[in-house]
Amino acid sequence: MSLMLDAARLAAAVNVVLLAVLLVIWIRNYREIRAPLTLGSIVFGALLLTENAVALYFYLSPPAMPALAVRFMMILQVLETVAIAVLAYVIWQ
Amino acid sequence: METVLWQVLAGTRGGPNRARILRAIDERPRNANRLSEDLDMAYNTIRHHLEVLEENGVVTSGGSDYGTVYLPSDRVRDHWNTVERIISQIDD
Repeated sequence: MSLMLDAARLAAAVNVVLLAVLLVIWIRNYREIRAPLTLGSIVFGALLLTENAVALYFYLSPPAMPALAVRFMMILQVLETVAIAVLAYVIWQ
Repeated sequence: METVLWQVLAGTRGGPNRARILRAIDERPRNANRLSEDLDMAYNTIRHHLEVLEENGVVTSGGSDYGTVYLPSDRVRDHWNTVERIISQIDD
């Protein structure tokens, strides 16, 4: 139970860091090249960053929850981390 | 192809520098060494960008030797309007 919560916390924290890096890259590029695709990426990244920051805040002082709910939230959070990590790898290239 | 161009030239970390490389080899096809001198970028950086551009079908090369000359691919030529629009926004 607490292990799963820790995994969800870690995943949310990693997401926040990765998205912050992506936003820096996109904002720098947008200053130089005003591509609609880059602007869309900035909006997308900013909203996802907000979502993960809220999730992290929630995980740090969670109310009592059924174990099943914790497990599924952890799985979703980790899947999101994998997705963002793949995106970050491509963008970093 | 248009999405690939916007992504590779404007959406990734090395995008703006890749746009400069593409502009340079459009003016005159060059090898990595000349690009490095003419654009004042590290040789390894140029090699990396050329590799990414080639993987994405944006540039083509004569081979993989040291002196290989790079030029814009036919597919990019078909979408040169897009490239011009992207490049016109970069001023250095």
